[in-house]
Amino acid sequence: MTQAPPRPRAGRSRNRARLRTLGTAGLFLLPALTGLVFLRLVPSVEAVTSAVTNRLGEFSLTNFTYLFGDPAFLGSLKVTLLFSLVINPFQIAVALFLAVLLTRHIPLVGLWRTLILLPIAIPQTVSAIVWGVLFRPDGPLNGLLGTLGIPAVPWLVSPDTALMSIVILCSWVGVGYWMTFLVAGIHEIPRSLYEASDLDGAGGWKQFVHITLPGIRRPLLFVLVADTVANFLVFAPVRILTQGGPEGSTNLIMNFIFERAYTLADTGSSAAATVVLVSIVIVVVAAQFRLLPGKD
Amino acid sequence: MADIVARRNERRTGRRTLWLVVPVAALAVAPLLWAVVSSLRPGEEIFRYLSPVSVRTVVPSTVSLDNYRAVLESSFTLALLNSVLVTTVSVALGLAVSSLAAFALAMIPFPGRAALFGVMVVSFLVPFEAIAIPLASTFREADLQNTLVGLILPAIGNGLAIFLLRQFFLGIPTSLSEAARMDGLSWFGIYLRIYLPLSRASMVGAGLILFVFQWQSFLWPLLIAPAPAVRVAPVAIADFAQESGVDYGQMFAAATLTAVVPLLVLLFAQRQFASSLASTGERE
Repeated sequence: MTQAPPRPRAGRSRNRARLRTLGTAGLFLLPALTGLVFLRLVPSVEAVTSAVTNRLGEFSLTNFTYLFGDPAFLGSLKVTLLFSLVINPFQIAVALFLAVLLTRHIPLVGLWRTLILLPIAIPQTVSAIVWGVLFRPDGPLNGLLGTLGIPAVPWLVSPDTALMSIVILCSWVGVGYWMTFLVAGIHEIPRSLYEASDLDGAGGWKQFVHITLPGIRRPLLFVLVADTVANFLVFAPVRILTQGGPEGSTNLIMNFIFERAYTLADTGSSAAATVVLVSIVIVVVAAQFRLLPGKD
Repeated sequence: MADIVARRNERRTGRRTLWLVVPVAALAVAPLLWAVVSSLRPGEEIFRYLSPVSVRTVVPSTVSLDNYRAVLESSFTLALLNSVLVTTVSVALGLAVSSLAAFALAMIPFPGRAALFGVMVVSFLVPFEAIAIPLASTFREADLQNTLVGLILPAIGNGLAIFLLRQFFLGIPTSLSEAARMDGLSWFGIYLRIYLPLSRASMVGAGLILFVFQWQSFLWPLLIAPAPAVRVAPVAIADFAQESGVDYGQMFAAATLTAVVPLLVLLFAQRQFASSLASTGERE
């Protein structure tokens, strides 16, 4: 009777081992978790709270009903979705194409990669100002088109071309950045796979579909998610170049939120718009995780 | 023999690829080059030769360093140094924090791991601009306004960097860490001796994320560190642009100086990516 049965003791030591593992994991995670809680979650909760309360501090959804009755907000929602549908496939396709090119045996490959990556390093305030001058109706871009015999493009001053101009500027900034992650991914694919398929006589396209694409699943998923998020949040170029105009054609949702918060000091509806934006981003990213095979 | 033919073919397609790559690289660099050229000419010349495009558009009639002299003698030098200091510390601390977290999320089995990773991912989906205002008031209450610590802290816990490193750690065969566990190596030992040395390219990638975030950072420094002593380069450049009667020459000189640091960082990063290719070869 005094002898304890062996099974619970084994269970207890297993429990202790599990506790120790949990403690170790906790130590590894402590700095990041502290940061996330105080620098991200707490202010996020504050933003949600101010979105769902009225001036008296009571729970109320008036911020949202007001927001969805506001043509300016609906317009910015439409512009943001249009922008995402154009810019994300474009940037990822170009980045992937360049990554494949720049992992071949070409002279000075590091130099070309660095040059293409360079724009991301420039502070966005600077990029926006430089492109603002390039896009001027009397600027170098139209000068170049004129030399080629092509009529001038109104770039930022016409509602038909302004969003496209922002797409060009953002792609100039971002494509090299996303390319870099894909280049690193392609480098992780064993060379022997390509050599074997060379012997089988597989062409470039077949190699791309059967070796490169499956081989870079993880970095590609990362680029897909991170690029989509980044493009939902585009702000500085719009703020500096168009302030959302002409005629609201570049009024991306971040610009709308900034305007409500700072120009109109309307914290309630800017917080509500932020909640809507983050919800959209979460839904889109969750869909991407599900659609792409090999999530883990 | 077949090997030599294959290699020659590879080199030939490589040279052909160059015809596609060089124009793209030129497209990426041209606006910057134009900014650099503009920084070397007197301010009133910048807009004179824009249209029609001619040799004068890209070749200044007089090259002078006056813009640079003026910028370096101004408070901009301090802003640039602040940026370098703040970014360096952010990258170092950020890499340590993110790689530790990514390792635990990828390798150490504990209950609620998937959910915790979800929280981490969501945390970087919250636009920083959206939480900057409540966060800034918290920082002011903690007396962190106009301090370097206040500038650095928000850049450290980066969900993107954790996400990237975790993805990479998951790709390392678990047999490695299992064997090390059997040999009695602690989790921290596995992290330090096995995972970190293998993940150099990914660490450089994550470092690049942290670097870009901090180097680009604009709204946050504007809110939390407006004092001249802790002003950073992007804010200083924006100040140039917002002055009445913008001196574009000086602004482009400041922009060029701000681009030199990331240029050096990128050259370093590229070398790391390239040598990681070499080490992959060794591993096989």
